[in-house]
Amino acid sequence: MKSRDEAGAIEFPLVAVVDDDESVRESLPDLLGEFGFGAGVFASAEEFLASNSVSQTKCLVLDIAMPGMTGLDLQQELKVRGHKIPIVFITAQKDETVRKRALEGGAVGVLLKPFSDTALLKALNAALGVD
Amino acid sequence: MAAEPENPAEEIRHLRRCINDLVSVLALPAIWIGGSPTQIVDNLLDALVTMLNLDFIYARLSGSGGGGFTETVRVGATWELTVGQHEISEKLQSLLGNELQKQSTVGRTLIGEREIVVVPLQLGLHDEIGVIVAGCQRADFPQQTERLVLSVAANQAAIGLREASLLRELDQRVAERTSELAAANEELIREVAERKRAEEALLERELNLRQITETIPEMLWSATPEGAIDYCNGRLLAYTGFSAEEVKAEGWRKLLHPDDADQAGQVWMRCFRTGAPYRVEVRTIHAGDGSYRWCITNALPLVDAEGRIVKWHGTVVDIHDWKKAQEELRNTQEELARATRVMTMGQLTASIAHEVNQPLSGIVTNASTCLRMLDANPPNLEGARETARRTIRDGNRASDIVTRLRTLYSKKDLVPQPMDLNEATREVISLSLSELQRNRVVLRQALAEDLPPVMGDRIQIQQVILNLIRNGSDAMSTVNDRPRELTVKTDLDESGGVCLSVKDSGVGFDSQTEEKLFEAFYTTKGDGMGIGLSVSRSIMESHRGRLWAIRNEGPGATFLFAIPCGTNT
Repeated sequence: MKSRDEAGAIEFPLVAVVDDDESVRESLPDLLGEFGFGAGVFASAEEFLASNSVSQTKCLVLDIAMPGMTGLDLQQELKVRGHKIPIVFITAQKDETVRKRALEGGAVGVLLKPFSDTALLKALNAALGVD
Repeated sequence: MAAEPENPAEEIRHLRRCINDLVSVLALPAIWIGGSPTQIVDNLLDALVTMLNLDFIYARLSGSGGGGFTETVRVGATWELTVGQHEISEKLQSLLGNELQKQSTVGRTLIGEREIVVVPLQLGLHDEIGVIVAGCQRADFPQQTERLVLSVAANQAAIGLREASLLRELDQRVAERTSELAAANEELIREVAERKRAEEALLERELNLRQITETIPEMLWSATPEGAIDYCNGRLLAYTGFSAEEVKAEGWRKLLHPDDADQAGQVWMRCFRTGAPYRVEVRTIHAGDGSYRWCITNALPLVDAEGRIVKWHGTVVDIHDWKKAQEELRNTQEELARATRVMTMGQLTASIAHEVNQPLSGIVTNASTCLRMLDANPPNLEGARETARRTIRDGNRASDIVTRLRTLYSKKDLVPQPMDLNEATREVISLSLSELQRNRVVLRQALAEDLPPVMGDRIQIQQVILNLIRNGSDAMSTVNDRPRELTVKTDLDESGGVCLSVKDSGVGFDSQTEEKLFEAFYTTKGDGMGIGLSVSRSIMESHRGRLWAIRNEGPGATFLFAIPCGTNT
């Protein structure tokens, strides 16, 4: 885990949060901040792709069920585009097949909402550790 | 005939002749038996004219019934004159007058210039029978012996003629009587024949009727005005397994289930006293399987011209299978309604659970963040405050949802209560919001103010609203070229009830589908069961309301329901 450099140069990994759920976009960044991560929030996969954060994103916290491009679609799309960003899926659906697909697609983890902060931290560490 | 003799031998001969003549005369009646008056007279005259050597002898008989008379004349062998009957009759008439019959004295007349002695003889005690007149030219006519013979002959004639007339009268009377009797007999025969024909016709009609009542494929019976069964057709007897005798009079009670017999009896008594149509549903014994089966018995009275009941005619129809099928149908419908209710409730609770999950997720994250912020060195109080605030906010949100969930689950089991349609609608909308958002559906609502409360089952009505909202959203799932707009409106219905409409901008429906929309098991969704609209419609109908759909002027459709506000349910 990287932390703030006393020297002033702010270096912390960017975690992108992509979820159409407003309460997630509202609450996660603060938690990620406590973990020492910088966070960017996006309301849809399209919005994320259209932003210029993609190349800088070190880890993706991604909702699965979204209108338009779903989380799994984004997972595929990033591969197609050659971005190897580790993904931690978060979802309210308990669907086993969806979970399988996500993991087979290379996801680091699939967390069921509501998830504890420690579970999220563990997954993020794993994602960034692998990197 | 010689003149009166003087010598005894002559006298003896004379007397002997007289006696012979008398014997002959007395023998005549024997010949007359069975003869007609004419025959008798002819015979007599012939005998006398020869016997006494008369020149002529005339007879006149009174006709029957006081009318005319018949005349007969016989002339002697020695009569040379060519004088006809008519002249003789005339002569006698003029000589003795019209009262010829009353004359008894001897008279003289001139006939054809000859002087003739005429002797009238009465026939009958009061000359009612007639008169005979003997005529002779001889001067000594009539001698005593001749007078004797003539009077005896006249007596005999009278007797014979009377007898003949009596016989004829008798014959006549007998003939009359016979013809009377014959006529009466004929009349009788005719009456008998007619009666026989009428009886035969009646019998034929009865046979025809019996044929009909025995052939009609229904169970038939009839009863007297006093309510006693007097006929059951073959089908009814075969169905119940009873004989015609056993069922007569009060025997019908044995045909019915003991629990139903008394009540049926009471209704029957009321009916045959008042003439009201008889109609009961009773369990009747069925010989085929020895069980009781539900039947409906109907009877109507037959009245005569004065309005008196002369007969009751009735039918018995087996409705057992129908009744059972109705029960099953009812049960199935109830089960379906229950299942749908459960299913929709399941859908509702799934929506609710999903709704609750959201704030929960936020609560956990915000609270965790809050703790970390407080643990930091130095503690991030500003951040802690903010995250705590968010936690409380989301906690309240979750609590609201749970409250709504509780009211939904409260066992107001199909008992209609007054409910506010707007409130119910708002609840369903808030439950559906996240799903609608996920489907990028823009929801607009226009709920009329001051809607009167309606009597209804809140859960059921909410089921319908949810169904319509879901359908509206699904209808727009393939729409990408225009906004997906869903408008929910409530309003007062024209008849004073309340009305709700859900309008979408989706794919709509064509006139062919319009018919089928509300049919059970009709669906356009791959995973749909197709019972949403049909159950929704029956829910509406059970609230005495209605559910229908119209095509929008623009794209999409509008589904509406209306419920009356009646004070009674």
